[in-house]
Amino acid sequence: MFRPLFQFFLLFLSGFNLIYGQSCNLSINGTISDLHDGSPIIGALVKIEGTNFFSQTDFDGHYQIQGICNGKYELTIQHPECPTVKKKINLQTSQVYNFDLEHHINELEEIILSENRISNLRKSVQEVSLDIGEINSYGSNTMVEALSYISGASILKTGNGIAKPAIHGMYGSRVGIVTDDFRQHDQEWGPDHAPNIDFNSFETIQLIKGAAALKYGGDTPGGLIILSSNRKKLKDSLFGNSNLILESNGKGGKITSRLEKTYVNGFFVNGQLTAKRYGDFHAPKYVLSNTGLKETDFSIKLGKDKITSGWKFNYSNYNIETAILKSAHIGNIEDLFYALSSNEPRIIESFTYEINAPKQKGKHQKISFNYFSLFQNQTKLEFGYNFQVNDRKEFDVRRGGRTEIPAIDLLLKTHNLVGSLSGIKFNDWNFELGVNGLFQDNFSNPTTGIKRLIPDYLKYEAGIYFLGNFQKTNTFLWEWGLRMDRIFIDAKKYYDLSVWEERNYATQYSDFEMQKIGNQILTNPRLNYLNFSAQTGISSKISNQLKLKASYVLSQRAPNASELFSDGLHQSIAAIEYGSLSLQKEISHKLLISFSKEEGDLFWSFEPFISKTFDYIYIEPTRLKQTIRGAFPVWEYNATDVFLSGADFTSSFRFSNQFKFDLGISYTYAQDLLNDRPLILMPPLNTFQKFKFTPKKGRWDVELIHHLNASQKRFPDSNFQFNLIQEGQLVSQTVDISTPPPGFQRLDVYFSINLKSNNNLKSQIRVIAQNLTNSEYRDYLNRMRFYSADLGRNFQIQLNFKY
Amino acid sequence: MKNFQILFKIKLVVVAIALIFSCSKDDPDAVNQQEFISNVVLKIQSSDGSKQTVDWDLSEQNSQAINLKANSDYTVEISFLNTSDPSAIENITLEVIEEAEEHQVFYGFAGVSVNVSSASDDTKDGSRGVLIKSVWNADSAGSGIARVYLIHQPTDFNATTREEMGGFNDVAVDIPITITD
Repeated sequence: MFRPLFQFFLLFLSGFNLIYGQSCNLSINGTISDLHDGSPIIGALVKIEGTNFFSQTDFDGHYQIQGICNGKYELTIQHPECPTVKKKINLQTSQVYNFDLEHHINELEEIILSENRISNLRKSVQEVSLDIGEINSYGSNTMVEALSYISGASILKTGNGIAKPAIHGMYGSRVGIVTDDFRQHDQEWGPDHAPNIDFNSFETIQLIKGAAALKYGGDTPGGLIILSSNRKKLKDSLFGNSNLILESNGKGGKITSRLEKTYVNGFFVNGQLTAKRYGDFHAPKYVLSNTGLKETDFSIKLGKDKITSGWKFNYSNYNIETAILKSAHIGNIEDLFYALSSNEPRIIESFTYEINAPKQKGKHQKISFNYFSLFQNQTKLEFGYNFQVNDRKEFDVRRGGRTEIPAIDLLLKTHNLVGSLSGIKFNDWNFELGVNGLFQDNFSNPTTGIKRLIPDYLKYEAGIYFLGNFQKTNTFLWEWGLRMDRIFIDAKKYYDLSVWEERNYATQYSDFEMQKIGNQILTNPRLNYLNFSAQTGISSKISNQLKLKASYVLSQRAPNASELFSDGLHQSIAAIEYGSLSLQKEISHKLLISFSKEEGDLFWSFEPFISKTFDYIYIEPTRLKQTIRGAFPVWEYNATDVFLSGADFTSSFRFSNQFKFDLGISYTYAQDLLNDRPLILMPPLNTFQKFKFTPKKGRWDVELIHHLNASQKRFPDSNFQFNLIQEGQLVSQTVDISTPPPGFQRLDVYFSINLKSNNNLKSQIRVIAQNLTNSEYRDYLNRMRFYSADLGRNFQIQLNFKY
Repeated sequence: MKNFQILFKIKLVVVAIALIFSCSKDDPDAVNQQEFISNVVLKIQSSDGSKQTVDWDLSEQNSQAINLKANSDYTVEISFLNTSDPSAIENITLEVIEEAEEHQVFYGFAGVSVNVSSASDDTKDGSRGVLIKSVWNADSAGSGIARVYLIHQPTDFNATTREEMGGFNDVAVDIPITITD
């Protein structure tokens, strides 16, 4: 009724303005859609540079800006997941401008958009997601290294080839990894065990701090890393990409290739291959002898996604062989003392591609099947089955030609069954519930000829969760989740009779005893745990720019096999490690808050957290034990209460179209409350600064990245004394394994040239220099710091093709 | 209602799967510990033929003392044994001899001064004596300890201190030693 009138009014105005030669009632409108499948892009920002005019696309990808004066303008179209597009326009009459954007949709985002607000993600927790392509382009060799660009995440390393993720100072079983909807199950408990995953077979990586994603478990107080594939496009197309990386340090490289075919009926199939080969890496001043690695992985994914129902099948195969620094293979604390007092590794040989003992071999295979179906009111039923086989072998230098026999040989098989019902809606409420069943079988091969570090065990898990959220307006959301897990561990383990008695297990756990064989006793520990976890939080838009998220997470974690049963010598730190049967579940309370503000060219987020954990399981040196190889410190698993707190700050500022500056700062404070001392292996204060220059013309850009790690001043004293023979006399010496190394900085430079092919797909050449100044440093979180400096300068050439 | 039926079905499947897999595990085999050394035995013979055997035993964590007279030669033969199964005592020394090129026996002394040299019938790798059989000669009276090492893959076989020798210890035990005039 009013519209014709309004249009008439506009017409009238325009006519009026024309008289004055300055028309200020022009409008532009149009649709922003996905380059690949034409689907609308929602929430893209269309701005007229140099004015206050802007518009955001609606659910149909439509935008409109009115009341513009005639003249020459520059339009920019921005979306968080698309490269920004600019267009110069000369506006004399109202016009329609449609744009196609290259959209790197994050799969889970898309689920949120297409299937309403309840999703795999918790919206009240700040999360970071990265595109795998981006990770690759930073020259990261492992998934974990990619995390060094996320503040709050850190990396626990054993040399160069082995890296595991740490979030807010927690790692191992306290950080979960999810790949294609299933938790990864490998021997994640070991600090020198890297996750057996090839990140190249996924498209996005997300990091959720805290155990907020209850769908995947409530036992990860550190957080979750979620690797996922993009949702497939309903379109006949064939595309792929290849990535070749050549590196000077390690004289090796990596090649990864992916090909995907999709059909308009929703069927898709893709295959992916990765191969890596490196020789000995080098520190600034010497070769790190025996640090090469080789890896070959492949995966096949196929399925049919018909919007209302679909299925997918995945198979992946991961094979890695990593050498471990030869000098790190030591016999006892005397060897460790000599290693610590030497500035260089004790063994420096010339470069080789050979991988000798000590080394690790890992093979991980995964097969999974998922099915989903949507019902009338968008309720989604999903179920999936996943089977994983992890084969881990560790080789030590041994006598009698046994070096080729693994010293540790573990085979872990995991069956996992999940089912869920999501998108159950009542008014402004939205619910999801699901179940999870897991069966795990660990086999520790006795033919190693070395006492098992981890015993044979069966593990059963049954879980149920219920999630919900309430959202009435776009500015406020309240969500909560509850989860319950029942865990039963049925182990069969040999103890030395002397240990069984010395630890008082003989009286405490006499019902576990099966039979005595020589000086050993076979036992059958049967352990039950019941875990409750919960999460609740809010997400609120305080103003258009300022967002607040706050979340409380309760997580409970049952002790893992290593914490319960560890029994043996850990070579690289010359420690005898003992688990403890009496450990209880760990109960952690964590409060996370996040403020983020986006205002024009400035974005920042500040995320403080505070947590208290009861019965936190940790390992500490308790005494010296005499062995045939001399005295060794005994490290025993124990429980205490800990307080952790910290904050992460991230900011990004665009000075102009040419210059962009990013900053990340992260700090964690950790205190053992019962023993009144700091916790071991906490990341020190660390920052990264990134400065990016993109010229006005030309297809290149250059980035400078500076990492700064302070020295960790808060650490517990784990030193011990021993008697050394010096010049014919016994002299008491301290083996200082506690003092962290000094702080360090590292400078990396990235230079990229974009090549555009005719079909608008971008290929790239990148030249990278890492540790440009060749600075010699040791990282507190790298276990090899006792033996050698970290990596020296590295030049890298990357070729990245899309087709 | 339909949803609950589905849920019930899921539950059924979970229970079924649990039943399928809830098998009991076979008892694991005990590990036959290889290259394990429980005893370090020194057979000491003086030039006049008197013999002494010193046995460092892991379960007791000690041994008798070595008693020597100053300024006289003793031949010392070292052996490494695994006696954890008394019915099948393993002589690990044979492995060491077989891999002579990777091993070195080394003696460190504190409180006393003893010269150690390779015996004429010692196991050799080229011209280097592994010191399986060695000749000891003490300087003067005193008491202290002898630290007995079996070093695997030393970086410098001819070094005179343990530190310089490199490699890693397969054996490092302390045996008390007394030297009389």
